[in-house]
Amino acid sequence: MLSRTAEYLYWISRYMERAETTARLLDVGYRMSLFPNPSGYNNEWESVLSAAGAIEGYKNKYKTIEQKNVEDYLFFDESNPSSVYNCILNARNNALVVRTSFTPESWLAINKTYQEILNLKQQQFSISDIPDLTEWTIEQVNLFRGSLSSLLRNDGYNFLFLGLFIERADNSARLLDVKYFVLLPKPQYVGGNIDNMQWSILLRSLSSFRAFRWAYDGNITATKIADFLVLNNNCPRSLSFCIQNIVKHLTNLTCSPEKVGRIYNNLKDLNTKIQEEKIETIVEYGLHQFVTQFIRKISSVDNEIHKEFFN
Amino acid sequence: MFNEMYQSESVIRNHYNNINDWLDQMTSKVILEKNAEAETHFRNIGITFSTNNETARERIIPFDLIPRIFTYTEWLRLERGVIQRAKALNAFLADIYNQGEIIKANIIPKEIIYKKKSFEPSMFGFSPPRDIYSPIIGIDLVRTGPNDYFVLEDNCRTPSGVSYMLENREIMMRMFPDLFHNNRVTPIDDYPTRLLQTLMSLAPIKCENPEPVCVLLTPGPLNSAYYEHSFLSDQMGIEMVESTDLFVEGKYLYMKTVDGPKRVDVVYRRIDDDFLDPLCFNPQSVIGIPGIMDVYRTGGVNICSAPGAGIADDKAIYIYVPEMIKFYLGEQPILDNVETWNCEKEQELKYVLDNINELVVKEVDGSGGYGMLIGPKSSKSSIDKFKTKLSTNPKGYIAQPLLDLSFSPTLIKNQVEGRRVDLRPFCLIGEQAQLSSGGLTRVAMNEGSFVVNSSQGGGVKDTWVLAE
Repeated sequence: MLSRTAEYLYWISRYMERAETTARLLDVGYRMSLFPNPSGYNNEWESVLSAAGAIEGYKNKYKTIEQKNVEDYLFFDESNPSSVYNCILNARNNALVVRTSFTPESWLAINKTYQEILNLKQQQFSISDIPDLTEWTIEQVNLFRGSLSSLLRNDGYNFLFLGLFIERADNSARLLDVKYFVLLPKPQYVGGNIDNMQWSILLRSLSSFRAFRWAYDGNITATKIADFLVLNNNCPRSLSFCIQNIVKHLTNLTCSPEKVGRIYNNLKDLNTKIQEEKIETIVEYGLHQFVTQFIRKISSVDNEIHKEFFN
Repeated sequence: MFNEMYQSESVIRNHYNNINDWLDQMTSKVILEKNAEAETHFRNIGITFSTNNETARERIIPFDLIPRIFTYTEWLRLERGVIQRAKALNAFLADIYNQGEIIKANIIPKEIIYKKKSFEPSMFGFSPPRDIYSPIIGIDLVRTGPNDYFVLEDNCRTPSGVSYMLENREIMMRMFPDLFHNNRVTPIDDYPTRLLQTLMSLAPIKCENPEPVCVLLTPGPLNSAYYEHSFLSDQMGIEMVESTDLFVEGKYLYMKTVDGPKRVDVVYRRIDDDFLDPLCFNPQSVIGIPGIMDVYRTGGVNICSAPGAGIADDKAIYIYVPEMIKFYLGEQPILDNVETWNCEKEQELKYVLDNINELVVKEVDGSGGYGMLIGPKSSKSSIDKFKTKLSTNPKGYIAQPLLDLSFSPTLIKNQVEGRRVDLRPFCLIGEQAQLSSGGLTRVAMNEGSFVVNSSQGGGVKDTWVLAE
């Protein structure tokens, strides 16, 4: 497989994953705007923008945080590299180049999405259309992911999934980074409205709201949620699930064992740690610090993948 | 005036009877729906022109639902004629880059060959595998009567359009499966397999691989034929590479893969000569693979088509193709050339200037239907402009009579109307010479127009060859 092909495949699934994350965040922000919130709506929109990695760009463009602007910025804005529009555009431009390396269905899924978002972009949207737009985005991304199931299980497949899980690991960790404080034990608010609301934001934005209730019995507690999102291997967006899959798709690569080995060596400590650690220890050690280190590690693995395979 | 479907106003040609019945029972509602379906399909698969503006909608070529049909006998003659021509063109290239017998025999004057920009001096004295310079040749044909076909031009470099031939058939089979139950249409979907076989049969001498590694070299996504590049490489199961994916080391060409360098044996290039090798051709070029020509000349890789193959489809050389056929093959040409006046010659220039109202004047290096004058359809002022151009730069032009291109029934606003068509079948020459069982039919969608080029409002049709 051409190095460039591998790189493009890797980035296609990163972009598609990012499109979904951005859309989910937008949906969470929209939901929050419907509830009375003692700390004010704008704070929520600000943390949505932070989690989407778009706060700086947004503030360069707009003076104040307004729902309509945030929505436009996150969904359609061409100047926001992580807007749903740009993610789909980039995924499609990459797919155009490597369409021969995956199935016609995968190409169709991406290209149809692109054709449709061009149409959507020309229409006028009101704030209340956000749930539809989010739903549409998630549907499109699922269509793409579904199409991957008929792929040959070759290196191209593994690069696609490496991209997906690197992106997801990064997205999940960033969200935790922005919201880690809601998972810290704060006796005065335990079980209070604010906590419930904050927790639900966190879970919803990781599409884990209902899954959490199925996974854990009894009362919702900060520790259980932290365990779910960081260490639970059944939760498809948890940090440990992402790491496990990065390792899996990395070691499944048949090309260049020595390159795979080098990247794996860099990753294996984190993998071992995350598989063996207890959530209580992590919280005690410092959840924020843990998450920050995790983000740094993922970014260095990403750099290595680029250096070893795509150059 | 020849109509492909109607023998006379009331008589349908036999081989169009089924299509005529099919047209009769199609309501305008169905036509509208099917047109929309075809457009959506072409957009979704991405068979579009790219534009530089990424957010602008890409353009698609209008597709006409009514197929253009050839009988088995009609096609047999075209097949023999096109293959004959393709063989002669390759023989010509082998000759002029070696002994130059056709020049010694005073059939073609040497100036018109050796002074052309498309003649490639670095090819002199080198013979590519099997002496095939141009393994894929697209021949543009027009028809003016039941048995009257003329070759408008030969395309020996990197003819495009074959993806339209294949996709037009796919969409027709998908939308109108019954048509294919009721008509015996020769399949064309093995073209990519045959193309790959052709390329593999042209492996370079130093290739050790029993299954030579072929790649398709594209200039990239901004090229207007990019869809075709990815389509063909996909169908052949070979890598589509850009020049940055390739590099020369020692005496071989490699592509950069995740496993490290992988040797490449045959490059099906869809980029121009100028951009192949900055060391050999255009030092200013930022694209290209430095050193590839060296590898090529020492038998480490084959480049298809060969650099310098373009001389064979030069409009000034075109005039001599019937002579080539006689000279190299000892045969009479099966397909005719269009009578052509070479404005470089003083007498012929005079004739052209005197009769310009009746003639089509073309730039020698022009393509895409640009830079040409259709005398009978032009205003006095544009004719005068062309006269000045001709007088100042006579060797830049040729002239031909305006041919009465055949009409093919075409759906225009839900009505069947006659529109002019041409045909580009694709000939493959490697271990064997063969013609696609069909081709790309282009249709001038504007009433009365003679220009079928997609850049000038042309559309396309599925082209059927009926089985014996």
